Amino acid sequence: MKRFFLKWVLIFSFYNMAVLPVAAQELGQTLDSLEVRPSLVNSRLSLPTQLTQVHVISPGEYFAPPLVADIPDDRFGDMVRMGRNIFIKTGVYAKRYAGNGLNCSSCHLQEGRKPHGIPLWAAYGRYPMYRHKTRTVVTIEERIQDCFIYSMDGIAPTLDAPEMKALVTYTKWLSKGAPVGVDLPGRGLPNVSRTQDLDPKRGKIVYEIRCEFCHGKDGKGQKHTNGEGYMFPPLWGRNSYNKGSGLQRVRTLAKFIKGNMPLGASFSLTNQESLDVAIYIWLQDRPRNPKMSQAMDFFFPNMAR
Amino acid sequence: MKSSGNIKRSLVSGIKKISIWTFFLSLLAVSFVIFLTQSVLPVSSDSQDLHRLAGEQLALNGRGKIPACVPCHGLQGQGNAGIASPRLAGLHPEYIKKQLEDYARNPLKTRAFVEPIARDYVKTPRTYGDLTVFTPGTRYAPKMNELAKILSVDDRHNLAIYYSKLAFVASPKAYDFETLERGEDLALRGKPEYGLPSCDSCHGPGGQGFGAIFPPLAGQPVTYIIAQINQWQAGKRDNDHLALMRNIADQLTDGDKVNVAAYYDNLSYSVNSE
Repeated sequence: MKRFFLKWVLIFSFYNMAVLPVAAQELGQTLDSLEVRPSLVNSRLSLPTQLTQVHVISPGEYFAPPLVADIPDDRFGDMVRMGRNIFIKTGVYAKRYAGNGLNCSSCHLQEGRKPHGIPLWAAYGRYPMYRHKTRTVVTIEERIQDCFIYSMDGIAPTLDAPEMKALVTYTKWLSKGAPVGVDLPGRGLPNVSRTQDLDPKRGKIVYEIRCEFCHGKDGKGQKHTNGEGYMFPPLWGRNSYNKGSGLQRVRTLAKFIKGNMPLGASFSLTNQESLDVAIYIWLQDRPRNPKMSQAMDFFFPNMAR
Repeated sequence: MKSSGNIKRSLVSGIKKISIWTFFLSLLAVSFVIFLTQSVLPVSSDSQDLHRLAGEQLALNGRGKIPACVPCHGLQGQGNAGIASPRLAGLHPEYIKKQLEDYARNPLKTRAFVEPIARDYVKTPRTYGDLTVFTPGTRYAPKMNELAKILSVDDRHNLAIYYSKLAFVASPKAYDFETLERGEDLALRGKPEYGLPSCDSCHGPGGQGFGAIFPPLAGQPVTYIIAQINQWQAGKRDNDHLALMRNIADQLTDGDKVNVAAYYDNLSYSVNSE
């Protein structure tokens, strides 16, 4: 009797493992489940009710930084070129300060030029400024140091380091002609209003539809085909920004996602969707805040600062 | 007596344990064999070679009603700039397969004529967030539409394998300095003040393509790239992921198309070759 039972268990498990998937493939069924496609789960064929505000840019609305081809051919231009190299390939040109796989241009999109993508030209004229995080007035050099400590998860370059000089020179050249002390349109990130209704489960669905094909199923990004550096930057894991960085704040990340992601379809996510994705990403593991002890990080892994 | 009974009991329980362990072990072994047969065998080089040979046969000679691919796409799959037919050599097999599936799809059956975006170019037009529909995607090209419909699933797979394994070396062409400079600016930096990302940020550095979704731009005929952007703008091609390329194509001027296509035609590029 026992033998008989075991035999059928074996046969059943074999059937489940071997025959069913093959049969499904032969029938030509696609294996994508309904759970990841909310538009199919609750099909909404009624009149549209949710209205999304989409950003349309008119000519001259945003500051246009100078072209790379117009970098002067002198010592100043050399410094600008060095700064640009560091900015777009931080792991190569500022290797001793970079701690993870990101570049400056992973967050400051399009070489620090994109409005609503934390553009450099809008930031340069605002420093020195009071910063709530440190409760002090910081210069742009100190702000860049913080970028290296938190977002790059590395070591802060000293104020007289050539890398620091090059980055500040590049920022200054990029904001040529921009007014000083003025909030330019496109500064920083767009606004996303506060809400208490966050759901990482919904965020996971949005992630699978709109983020996964670039940033990967495990959120670890995708490397270049030659294996050097990241084509699509990691969102969490060892090679991503640490828990002390600005993007670890859920609303800041939601603002970034809404204004810039996916590339080429900015402002296509609603506030709710971007907040949901943001909290889904916030829940993942990443390097600890260097200003926080290892024990605190172990017991309170998601306490940002 | 007591001890022998204990021994007997322990023996019996040992046998029971052994039988349970053998059961689990046999399960493991069976699953391992299934794993081998299912995942390792299909991707072995022999079957890949078979697919490649079948694809080569079909591409060179055609079969029955199916014409050969060579007259338009070239003997080495290098494409033909004169009739804007694309290079196929070295493309990702999944990309080729998807395009053939999209060619074969009947646009009248899949496309619902709902205009998703209210195109009044005011400051903030409204789109309907709850009408997001994931269309399977169609692609318009009269010759290919007819051709792809008579291809079987195996044919598509074979052709994709064959063309993805072909070698290709681009021959860079000369253009004037200004065109290349503008093309490079668009390819590396896009137009940030208009929200347009750079081409390289998705299509890979040097436009060499990335994965199954982002095809290479380098090594494609200039006429093909321009014709495809025109098709997106006209709504004749809408099989891109998340409608990313459609949104981007809408932002490109005629000058942008020419400049960026010339920039990629000027790059040296090779695939599958030493």
